[in-house]
Amino acid sequence: MTDSVATATAADVIDMAAQRQSPLLQVENLSIRFDGAPLGINVVDNVSFSVAKGKTLCIVGESGCGKSVTALSLMGLLPTPPARIVGGTANFGGRDLFSLSERERADMRGNQTAMIFQEPMTSLNPAFTVGDQIIEGILRHRRISKAEAKERALEMLRRVRIPAPEKRMRAYPHEMSGGMRQRIMIAMALANEPQLLIADEPTTALDVTIQAQIISLIRRLQDESGMAMILITHDLGVVAEVADEVVVMYAGRIVEAGSVDAIFEDPQHPYTIGLMGSVPSLGRRQGRLATIRGTVPSAEMMPKGCRFMPRCPFADERCVNDAPPLAELEPGHWARCWYAPLELHRGGIV
Amino acid sequence: MLRYIAKRILIAIPTILIVSVLVFTLQQLLPGDPVLTLAGEERDPQVLAFLREKYRLDDPIPVQYFAWFSQVLQGNLGISLRTDIPVLTLILSKLPVTIELAIFAMIIALAIGIPTGIISAVRKGTSVDYAANVVALSGLSIPNFWLGILLIMLISVRWKLLPASGFVPPTEDLWLNIKTMLMPAFVLGTGLAASLMRHTRSAMIGVMRSDYIRTARAKGLLSHVVIMKHALRNALVPIITLSTLLFGELLAGAVLTEQIFTIPGFGKLVVDAVFNRDYAVVQGVVLCTAVGFILMNLLADVLYVLANPRLRHSR
Repeated sequence: MTDSVATATAADVIDMAAQRQSPLLQVENLSIRFDGAPLGINVVDNVSFSVAKGKTLCIVGESGCGKSVTALSLMGLLPTPPARIVGGTANFGGRDLFSLSERERADMRGNQTAMIFQEPMTSLNPAFTVGDQIIEGILRHRRISKAEAKERALEMLRRVRIPAPEKRMRAYPHEMSGGMRQRIMIAMALANEPQLLIADEPTTALDVTIQAQIISLIRRLQDESGMAMILITHDLGVVAEVADEVVVMYAGRIVEAGSVDAIFEDPQHPYTIGLMGSVPSLGRRQGRLATIRGTVPSAEMMPKGCRFMPRCPFADERCVNDAPPLAELEPGHWARCWYAPLELHRGGIV
Repeated sequence: MLRYIAKRILIAIPTILIVSVLVFTLQQLLPGDPVLTLAGEERDPQVLAFLREKYRLDDPIPVQYFAWFSQVLQGNLGISLRTDIPVLTLILSKLPVTIELAIFAMIIALAIGIPTGIISAVRKGTSVDYAANVVALSGLSIPNFWLGILLIMLISVRWKLLPASGFVPPTEDLWLNIKTMLMPAFVLGTGLAASLMRHTRSAMIGVMRSDYIRTARAKGLLSHVVIMKHALRNALVPIITLSTLLFGELLAGAVLTEQIFTIPGFGKLVVDAVFNRDYAVVQGVVLCTAVGFILMNLLADVLYVLANPRLRHSR
């Protein structure tokens, strides 16, 4: 390891210490269950993480691993039934989100916390102009006149770089491209200057060229406003670019968590390593891209030991019978694997 | 938009032509001879021949059709064989009654159907939803004539609250007119309310699942705003279409209901005309009904586009 990397890691440790003192959002032991799922199988199981003011946490994992459900529960947008929060707390600015009344949650949504979604094509109401939809959210949370709200909406359209914003205010969603609509969603989400933005795969549905634009737009707006962000993605390239902290989820559980450097420099869980193997990179061609065999098990098929066991190249008897704990390998770096730290077993992996 | 409407009207013209041919030829298939009805007890062959000659009933059917249709185009629907009154006059005298009944029935149907549909969609799977569905199902399965008779027995005969039958023009006595219309409008309205409720419910359930409803909630909007503004505005599109079509059906006259409450509307006119083999009247009424129905379809298409920003611009 070079010195610079070592310094960065040290800085991160200090950073994380600061973060522990005053996280903006602290989620502890969050468990979510779907009605009808087998007893004891939670779609989100004992998940804990925190986000510091102005920082970015990336939640990474395949579809179906509980990322979106976690995000929706934080916004109070879980479809209940069938989903139900069965345990845990989410402390946001000194209040537990899960014990607030529906009215109090609605007062926070789009105000202190905001969310953008994966599907820009269907996330805007086709019956109203985009201007009306942005203004509506502003007027919901601010005691200002309609003219002022309109001015604010225009300013937001300019900030998300929509060309000819005055004209676009009167446009309907169907008159815009997916990238444009996602910009509108961002303008709508940030109009009330939230402290926390939750972005659920905001670029997955977009063209590759547009993806980069949207990510850098979100980054810039975050720098301008100082808001914290939870970015849900399965694109490790994006994670490397924007994350401060990373949480890797698999089948409803956190399998690895740590600073972005720790995760990329020294991944400890076979799943994380597998995800990295699936990222194509320039200049390194070694035949086929590595993939992780199989798919995420369904609730009915959930293994009793380690949930990654059926797909893990290193699984043995112990992994079949006993679920490994999430262990802290070094300060701020956690992994849920009997074989972590992997240094001891390196020969068998790389 | 204007071009779209013009196009729809042009498409309606051949439909009306086809309907006119159908109306005319189907009637020829009806058993019975209008001349015999007209001549009454006397079956003097000379009288019969004279009548046939007068009404040109011996001409080939296509000739009869063109003779009739060219008159129709000039606004002449012929003269009732039975009463010697011009068909157009007959129709114009019955039309306001039917329109009034249709409007009343529609108001009742919308007032019941849409709110219950919304409530049962929002409370999907709860006892409220099940109750609404049971009521709607009974509304669909109870025949109008039975409900009508029941209402007459209960409200008119036993409680003496409303007149059992008869019709008073609103120009004569508005209050009495409304009182006579209430029960038949209720009978017709509840039947339609049931199907409106079912459609509202399924449209709302579909819309409530959409991503933009989640976005509306993510903005912090309160649930009544989400439901009544964001969801209903989109669910209304198919409901508007259905309502317009239902209204078109109402305009065709409610044969049984009008018969039970002895309301002199379209339904009663056409039934009497069929029994009397009054060709001209049957043709006139059916043609008017068909044109009315086509106009309602046209209106439904236009409203559908107006309610749908995506279509409004592309047409």
